Amino acid sequence: MPGYILRRLLGVAVILFLVSFLTFCIFFLLSPDPAVMICGKTCNPARIDQIREQLGVNQPFLAQFWQFLSGIFAGRTYGEGAAAIHCAAPCLGFSFQTNQSVVDMITARLPVSVTVAVGAAVLWLLIGISAGLVSAIKAGTWWDKGAMMFALGGISLPNYFIALVLQYVLVVQLQVLPFPSTPDFGEDPLFWFQSYIMPWTVLAFGYASMYARLTRANVLDTLGENFMRTARAKGLPSLLVLRRHALRPSLTPIVTLFGMDFAGLLGGALITETVFGLNGVGKLAADSIGKNDQPVIMAVTLMAAFFVVVANVVVDLLYAVLDPRVRVKS
Amino acid sequence: MNRTESKARDDGGALLEVRGLTVTFGTPRGDVDVVRDLSFTVDRRQTLGIVGESGSGKSMTSLAVMGLLPKGATASGSIRLDGVEILGKSDAALRKLRGNSMAMVFQDPLSSLNPYYTVGLQITEAYRAHHNVSRKAARAVAIEALDRVRIKDPHLRIDHYPHQFSGGMRQRIMIAIALCCEPDLVIADEPTTALDVTVQAQILELMADLQAETGTGMIFITHDLAVVSQVAQDVVVMNGGVQVEAGSTEQIFSAPQHDYTRALLAAIPRLDDDLEELKMVGDFRTGATR
Repeated sequence: MPGYILRRLLGVAVILFLVSFLTFCIFFLLSPDPAVMICGKTCNPARIDQIREQLGVNQPFLAQFWQFLSGIFAGRTYGEGAAAIHCAAPCLGFSFQTNQSVVDMITARLPVSVTVAVGAAVLWLLIGISAGLVSAIKAGTWWDKGAMMFALGGISLPNYFIALVLQYVLVVQLQVLPFPSTPDFGEDPLFWFQSYIMPWTVLAFGYASMYARLTRANVLDTLGENFMRTARAKGLPSLLVLRRHALRPSLTPIVTLFGMDFAGLLGGALITETVFGLNGVGKLAADSIGKNDQPVIMAVTLMAAFFVVVANVVVDLLYAVLDPRVRVKS
Repeated sequence: MNRTESKARDDGGALLEVRGLTVTFGTPRGDVDVVRDLSFTVDRRQTLGIVGESGSGKSMTSLAVMGLLPKGATASGSIRLDGVEILGKSDAALRKLRGNSMAMVFQDPLSSLNPYYTVGLQITEAYRAHHNVSRKAARAVAIEALDRVRIKDPHLRIDHYPHQFSGGMRQRIMIAIALCCEPDLVIADEPTTALDVTVQAQILELMADLQAETGTGMIFITHDLAVVSQVAQDVVVMNGGVQVEAGSTEQIFSAPQHDYTRALLAAIPRLDDDLEELKMVGDFRTGATR
């Protein structure tokens, strides 16, 4: 097992290297000259050259990529002399538009995205799995039909639409909730909860719908398995049959899905954060795209990739624990 | 029903008495009888073979006895276990009988075991469903059960998962599960069909030995006449949901009365036959609605 984990971690390093290389390629080839963007109104060719040199974008591609990589581990300094800007390790770049280290910008926003992701995940797991379970056990009844209609709605309605409707009805019309903001939990727990409940609900609705449908399908599959008949033939109480023999085979595949979905959200719920004006990583990405602040866009992309790749490994290891058939033989 | 009660009746009537059993599926196009007016009895220490082709209603008969018919199916008639009518009993009452007074061995031992749990848990849960004992005591019972079905190193194997066993071993485990509560009646539904021939013989021998030890009555369901001739004292031949012939095994094999039984027997290829083609069993359906 330790050998397996080591191999997987090595794989992670390789994948992250490739992802950063590809991301760097895309931004190098496609984006307009950042020096021109920064230069502003009082621009002249000499000034542009100067900025290019400060950013390091006048160097060849591989040299720039190397600077970027070494910056992550050793930090890097932009420019020389008095105008030099130091970006401490781990340096994912420096935003000259905001004069901040990109890592600082992300770490300032990450708690908001994590709060959004965790709250939504709790909601959607609870609602999605229990709705799916009830639907499967009461398949064909109105319970089932109702839950599946609701799930269809959750899958079909875009979340920015639900977000806007919720905000209009609850905040503007009924005024039962304040406009969402990103307060600390410690300052005002009630306001904190009121701020996050709408983003949680909106995100959870879509995911819960997906999870409900998946849970229902998995449970129905499992209920038809021969080992369910064996369990009943043993004379086990029906609740135990369900809890022990149906749930575990049905929910194990959901672990995989959940790992990836949750990791994806840690990289920022772009639409939801933007609609509700929450200052998370997703909103940071959206704002930076609007301003074409390349170092930020690139760092957010990399970070999202990092979460997904790591989650992938965690999920694989967890799967080996949950399903004895894939356990690595030692 | 507890064991002392059932043992007390040992000298009395038949262990299982099925009279006029009819299993009906409700479909949008009307009711369909998959088993119609079936009657048979099983005594202690005796094995009844139920023979028939796929779809003849053999498995539905066994599920009806266990009270495990799929949704949409209903059974009527009479099923008496130890003289007590069990058809129409509540699910809670039937649950006390299932696994305890009557147990079942299924056809496909791999899919009949839950891949997520050790065989130990799957045996002990059957025992603990009917006995109020500690985990430790149940584990001792399970080790003993594995030993009885001749699995080597039972104290180690008990913690293994189904996929770590071969097909024949898995069926031994299914038998261990069925026998751990010492049931009066064991229903074996094609228990050797999924196994290769040498393993088949071993399992049949094991089942015969265990039956001799415990004195349980057995229903052995199969489509394989050769197997039936080895294990059963009495045979019921089914086709299209109805019984076409019943009698002692000798009688059925030496002097079959019904055309279908004759056709079944004639379809078994023999080494001394000089055949161009294998003989077919024609359509002998005797009235059950299709």
